[in-house]
Amino acid sequence: MYGCLWRRLPGGIPGKLLGCAVLLFATLALLFLVVFPWAGPKLPFNHVTVDTSPSPRPTSAASPVVPD
Amino acid sequence: MSHWRTAVRGLGELFITAGLVILLFVVYELWWTGFTTKRDQHRLLNTLHQQWAHGVLVKDPPLGSAIAILRIPRLGHKYLFAIVQGTSTADLIKGPGHYPGTAMPGEIGNFAVAGHRTTYEHPFYNINRLRQGDAIVLETENRWYTYTVENIPGTKARYQEIVSPSDVSVAYSVPDQPDPTLSPTQRVLTFTSCNPRYSAAQRIVIHALLTGSMPKSAGLPPALHGYRIRSA
Repeated sequence: MYGCLWRRLPGGIPGKLLGCAVLLFATLALLFLVVFPWAGPKLPFNHVTVDTSPSPRPTSAASPVVPD
Repeated sequence: MSHWRTAVRGLGELFITAGLVILLFVVYELWWTGFTTKRDQHRLLNTLHQQWAHGVLVKDPPLGSAIAILRIPRLGHKYLFAIVQGTSTADLIKGPGHYPGTAMPGEIGNFAVAGHRTTYEHPFYNINRLRQGDAIVLETENRWYTYTVENIPGTKARYQEIVSPSDVSVAYSVPDQPDPTLSPTQRVLTFTSCNPRYSAAQRIVIHALLTGSMPKSAGLPPALHGYRIRSA
């Protein structure tokens, strides 16, 4: 996988290193800016509200339904 | 033979990559989320101070906007969070969130707030350390509201409770009553967060009663003695 990538990158050793750095950076950006922010809130320990789905919703009570 | 080797090597690289991605995700959750929340808090506090300075009174604060500043002396002088309106995922990653529809700071009823126990700068990481008599201070545009952690008289609400995630009655205007329509007479504050840390099996709940309210022009409330406060 990585060997194949290395062979296909152009530009000799410097070009290959640069290509690797660019690809690594792009992957990290995709993970930290898109994938992780999407996945994070789905973790159970990020659920901090009290809520129920179909119970009577009193005038003063909890939030709109947050998946639990 | 060589195809076999390539396949095994590819699989190995895939597993190592997956492991690295999961490690990165842990770094993201424990560290990076604190970073983004800190940045959001910085913006929210600036906006709030600007609004206060210009006397822009927001009647119905939009979801995700800051409504008050929270200080808890028990958790240290540096403990300071802008409370945002709303308890959706998007609201709560910015800071502790006010359950819409519950009372506003200082009002009769229940000012109920949810906050992260872990990750996203974990505003409620240590709320289990709050004890009866501890102060929770809210700063609004013109007033200081001091709540005291306490069992709520006339109700079953203890100052600290561990409840099931579906127990919404802790946020009722009269907390922990089976009837959500009871009309409140007391000014209550309620915090909810997950319990234990890094789990969602239960909710930890803190209740407090309003014990002080004073205009900001009159100085600092007694609970904030020794604090340095940013002026609007």
